[in-house]
Amino acid sequence: MSFNQEIQAKINQFAKEQARHYLDAAETTYLEKLRDKTDYAKEKVKQKLSQFKDTSDQAKEAQNDLIIYMSDYMSDLMSQGLTEEEAFAKAKEELSASSASDLSSDIEERFHQYFANLDPAEYETIGLFYGGFIIIGLVAGALIGYTLSGGRVEFLNGGWINTLVGAAAGLLIGVGLGLLSNGIFVSRKKR
Amino acid sequence: MENLSEMLKGVLEGIVLEIISRGEIYGYEIVKRLTALGFAGIAEGTVYALLLRLEKNRLVHIVKKPSEIGPPRKFYTLNERGRDELLFFWARWDFLSEKIQILRKTEDTKDEF
Repeated sequence: MSFNQEIQAKINQFAKEQARHYLDAAETTYLEKLRDKTDYAKEKVKQKLSQFKDTSDQAKEAQNDLIIYMSDYMSDLMSQGLTEEEAFAKAKEELSASSASDLSSDIEERFHQYFANLDPAEYETIGLFYGGFIIIGLVAGALIGYTLSGGRVEFLNGGWINTLVGAAAGLLIGVGLGLLSNGIFVSRKKR
Repeated sequence: MENLSEMLKGVLEGIVLEIISRGEIYGYEIVKRLTALGFAGIAEGTVYALLLRLEKNRLVHIVKKPSEIGPPRKFYTLNERGRDELLFFWARWDFLSEKIQILRKTEDTKDEF
């Protein structure tokens, strides 16, 4: 069965777009897919390389296969009473190797992995580090400011500002140390 | 039968290999054979992707013949590797089927397991 020129052009375009997705899926095993999903850099390189796949002999063959397969399917649908347009729409829907759904499943998997690996004790530890460093910094800064400004007498005569500056500096140092400890914790966990 | 697709995921390759083993066949004809067998509702894209995988894994021998549509049509037969894979599939199937039947027929599963 032959189709009108417009539909045939749509079939060819569809096959060109979709053949690459099917080839990618056929080339990778399930384990490779899992590995790919945890490797964004590799995925980006693959996307770049896939631009060249459209013109390779292998891709051309896959496109031709899909054209034949889709045409057979459409002929079957039309023999059941569907119009050419309806048959194309249905075949397009059934044969789409949706990359969007792959992406959403990838995000969903990462989401599940994140919560599956979530350990409340780790977050409590990080929080305690932050709290500890902030209190130590605050107290040390305030004490240094208070002492260097001249003690109680000067504090009451307007020297409190030095204590305040010391406390603020200590607070910032505490937050900085908290961030450092958080960074060390995360990098150790990733190993 | 409805809601078969999840159960079929693991065995569809074996079913398609068995269909191909019966004689030279082209892609969409396999879908028609599956439908005739009662496996309606299998996404057409699934069978197409499966055929690509069989080809990539070198389980099939392919002959291209001219088609009325334009590009050549691929006809599939099983090669030796494909036949081995089919035998392996049926061995796994027999094992699984036997165990499931034992489970089903055993009245008191507590005694058995």
